[in-house]
Amino acid sequence: MEVLRAFVNSPIGPKTTHFWGPVFNWSLPIAAFLDTKKPPEVISGNMTAVMCGYSALFMRFAWVVQPRNLHLLVCHACNETVQLYQLSRWIKAQHCYLQEFTEER
Amino acid sequence: MASSKLQALWNHPAGPKTIHFWAPTFKWGISIANVADFTKPPEKLSYPQQIAVTCTGVIWSRYSTVITPKNWNLFSVNIVMAGTGLYQLARKIQLASTKQQ
Repeated sequence: MEVLRAFVNSPIGPKTTHFWGPVFNWSLPIAAFLDTKKPPEVISGNMTAVMCGYSALFMRFAWVVQPRNLHLLVCHACNETVQLYQLSRWIKAQHCYLQEFTEER
Repeated sequence: MASSKLQALWNHPAGPKTIHFWAPTFKWGISIANVADFTKPPEKLSYPQQIAVTCTGVIWSRYSTVITPKNWNLFSVNIVMAGTGLYQLARKIQLASTKQQ
C-alpha cells in the first residue's frame, strides 16, 4: 500500500504528464501491431521508415530527459521493433511488385 | 550582438548539441510523412495509426512544457502532428460517410 501511495504521489506518477505521455505513446506500437495482421498495402513506407528513426532517437531522449523516463524508453524500444518488422514487410512487398511488373513485360 | 544570440542558442540546454534538439527535429519527419500521405487514397490509410498519431500529438504537446529542459521544438512538432492526424482521420471518416449514403 505504501509503495502504491508513494508511486501515485511521485513526480513521475499518474498525477503527472510524465506518466500519461508514455501511456499514450503506446498507441503507436499497438497500432503498428494491429497493422501487422493486415496486408502490406496499408503500410506507409514513408511513415514506417520515419518511425524507425524517431523511436531510436527517443530511446536516447527518454534516458537523458529530466526526470529520466524508463517507461518511455521501453515503449520506444517496442515501437522500434514493430516498425522495423513492418518496414521489412513493406520492402518485401515492393520487391514482389517489382518482380510481378518485370514478369508481365 | 547577433553572434551572441546565436551562441546562446548553440549552447542552450535544448540546443543542437543535445538529443533534446535532434529527437524532436527528427519527429518532424512523422508530420512530413503524413503530409506526403495526404495524396494517398483514404482506403489505404490506417485508422489505428492516425488515431495514435493524433492522440500522442495532443498529449505530448502538454508533456513538452513540463519536462526539463522545456522544449518548444517538441511542443510545436506535436501540435502539427496532431493536426495532420486529425486531417487524415477526417478524410477517412468523410469517405466512410459517403459510402454509407
